[in-house]
Amino acid sequence: MARHAETAQKLRIDEQAATRYIGIAILALIIWRVITVGLAEGYPTSFWISQALNGMVLGGVYALVALGYTLVYGILFMINFAHGEVMMLGGIAGFFALQFAQGQGWMEGPWLVVVVALLFIMLIGMVTSVLIGMTLERLAYRPLRQAPRLVPLISAIGASLFLQYSVLLIFGVSPHSYRKPALISGGLRLGNVFIPYTGAIIFITSVLLMLALYFIIQRTKLGRAMRAVAEDRSTAALMGVDVDAVIVVTFMLGSALAGAAGVMLGFHNTVVKFNSGFMPGLKAFTAAVLGGIGNIPGAMFGALVLGLIEAIGPSALGIPTEYKDVIAFTLLVLILIFRPSGLFGEVLSEKKA
Amino acid sequence: MQTRFTTLGLLLVAALALAGCVGMAPVASEPPAEEAAVDMSGKVVIASGEKIRIGGSFALTGPIPDPGKDIRQGAEIAIDDLNAAGGLEGFMFDLVAEDGACDGTQGTNVGNKFAADETIVAVTGGTCSGETFGLIPILLEARIPFVSPSATNPDITSSDCDVCNRVALSDALQGVVDADFAFSDLGVTKVAVVHDNSDYGKGLAEIFQNHILALGGEVTNFEGVQVGDTDFRALLAKVGANGPEFIFFGGYSTEAGLIAQQMTEAPGLENTLFMSDDGAYTRQYLDAAGEAAEGTYVSFVAGADAEAMNADFDAKYLDKYGVSPDDLGPFHGQSYDSVKLIAAAIKEVALVDSGGNLVIDREELISAIRAVEGFDGLTGMIKCDEVGECGAGGVQIFQVEGGAFNQIAGFGRE
Repeated sequence: MARHAETAQKLRIDEQAATRYIGIAILALIIWRVITVGLAEGYPTSFWISQALNGMVLGGVYALVALGYTLVYGILFMINFAHGEVMMLGGIAGFFALQFAQGQGWMEGPWLVVVVALLFIMLIGMVTSVLIGMTLERLAYRPLRQAPRLVPLISAIGASLFLQYSVLLIFGVSPHSYRKPALISGGLRLGNVFIPYTGAIIFITSVLLMLALYFIIQRTKLGRAMRAVAEDRSTAALMGVDVDAVIVVTFMLGSALAGAAGVMLGFHNTVVKFNSGFMPGLKAFTAAVLGGIGNIPGAMFGALVLGLIEAIGPSALGIPTEYKDVIAFTLLVLILIFRPSGLFGEVLSEKKA
Repeated sequence: MQTRFTTLGLLLVAALALAGCVGMAPVASEPPAEEAAVDMSGKVVIASGEKIRIGGSFALTGPIPDPGKDIRQGAEIAIDDLNAAGGLEGFMFDLVAEDGACDGTQGTNVGNKFAADETIVAVTGGTCSGETFGLIPILLEARIPFVSPSATNPDITSSDCDVCNRVALSDALQGVVDADFAFSDLGVTKVAVVHDNSDYGKGLAEIFQNHILALGGEVTNFEGVQVGDTDFRALLAKVGANGPEFIFFGGYSTEAGLIAQQMTEAPGLENTLFMSDDGAYTRQYLDAAGEAAEGTYVSFVAGADAEAMNADFDAKYLDKYGVSPDDLGPFHGQSYDSVKLIAAAIKEVALVDSGGNLVIDREELISAIRAVEGFDGLTGMIKCDEVGECGAGGVQIFQVEGGAFNQIAGFGRE
């Protein structure tokens, strides 16, 4: 009996070693490709800086959405696949708020008025996303909380399609075009590097929102309750934590970040439509897994890495940019094979693993 | 074991026969239809009181929903006009509109739907080339002829496909005219080509690239994006690193507009000109590009407009849908003519039998479309050649000026 267990363990170690060698080989191949092909193209430094800036903006957006996945996973161990749609609805609401603001002439006013109006638009987007997130939790997930883990996942996919096609029916299939006010059109030109204002705003705002989230989770009573529920839901309940309330708040926080991302992406890329949350949603999920799902700093870091790889990857590997999604999802597969718990590793309690 | 299967099979056959009887019952009670059921393979039989059903595959969702809707509405006006003129031998026309979604898979689904419906006589559509490539094998097998108003990929028509026809002009022409315009009129030699990986966009981009190279120009990049992408900055930074004088985009409105907008911010592309195609000759392009649209070029495979007829059509369209056709998309004229062409061919081959049914032989209809003598459509003289190219007109080049398209070269201006 003992010997049998010993052999099994030895086999497992051999298998781990083999996986590690394969991983190292793949990494070496990638580095070899970057050196021989990507760097051989002879792009100037300003090119790499431009691409890195593009990547940081993408990363900022992915991070805001990825945090929603990771927060919900941390507490409920479920993937909220409708989260991309929560973001899209924030963008759609932001579009109509912008229409309203333009109708009032606020967008042509002095810069203070424009800034206040932009904050108002962002608030509308965030509030809409929060309401959608809360409704999702109440209608699609709470009734299934005792069900096997696969059931709420299917419910989430259903909710995602429901939201997409509701938007299609109500607001039409044509994309809605955001009109940037003059204040945030254009950008800074530093030599051969161009930083669009919207890109800078996305990156700075996402960092500020992430700091705010970190503060809420680490420094407030609410955050302590969230961490307690994440650690052990039933014990937390016994200690007097209102678990239902904590779960709702978690959805609200995640959705607010997604709503902000939706509005900012609307201003940055200037179009939103019924399915514009789908791809960013998948990418953000990838980012969350990359950093270690359930792990908050991991989601931020994973998102930044994913954004950078997506922007720099095609040029560095010397392949057409149309394969950027392939690179992102190949990364997801590699991470799942070689480091299933993500780059930041295990911070999870035993129960979740 | 053997006997059990046989019994099961017999049971199944019996069940099917029963189901068939039940299904047939109401039809059988009408004498003309019963008669029609006798050896009518390869023929469409329309009982009196029924309508002549023409299928329509339109891109109502997908990347170009507004042009898709416009094409559908153009076809509906044609059906209205045909019926207002008394239909055909007292039989009215009917349009069976399906959503082809500008997508090959969805085109296949629509094709299967039409093939399974024996009452579909012919098809107008699809809107996009990819969608139409999905339709072709199914309609070819089902012997249902189609006329596309707007699929421009050169390979839509070929000598291998007798059911394939179009009123739109082939990109074999558009790509060459666009390349000539860029090289000769604009005088650019360093060109980047971008496409959206659709059958339409990529096909056109390749023709453009080949012709630029043939003229002696240089192609710095040939890059693809995906339909539905919204962030092209990484791509444009890569293109900008080679400093092209001109970017040609083969694809649809939204992506074209966003590329035009984002390239104004990309290092190395500050003074680069931008040109796109008939897929971008829409209001959606102007919306998506915003101010960056100013000064950009698009081409369109235009018909030879018959002014008086078009004014009449525009008035009917505005009256029925409350919107001017040009606000939605460019291909309504071609769509109207597609339906009219199909109707003209049906008129040539349809016979009324002794029971008062309208009988249309499928094979005869397929050849009749190519044999239509030619008629004055909204887009000019519609007459098909031996591979199914039925369009009239030529390629026009527009430049955006003051938020509107202004023709600067090409067909109708020489």
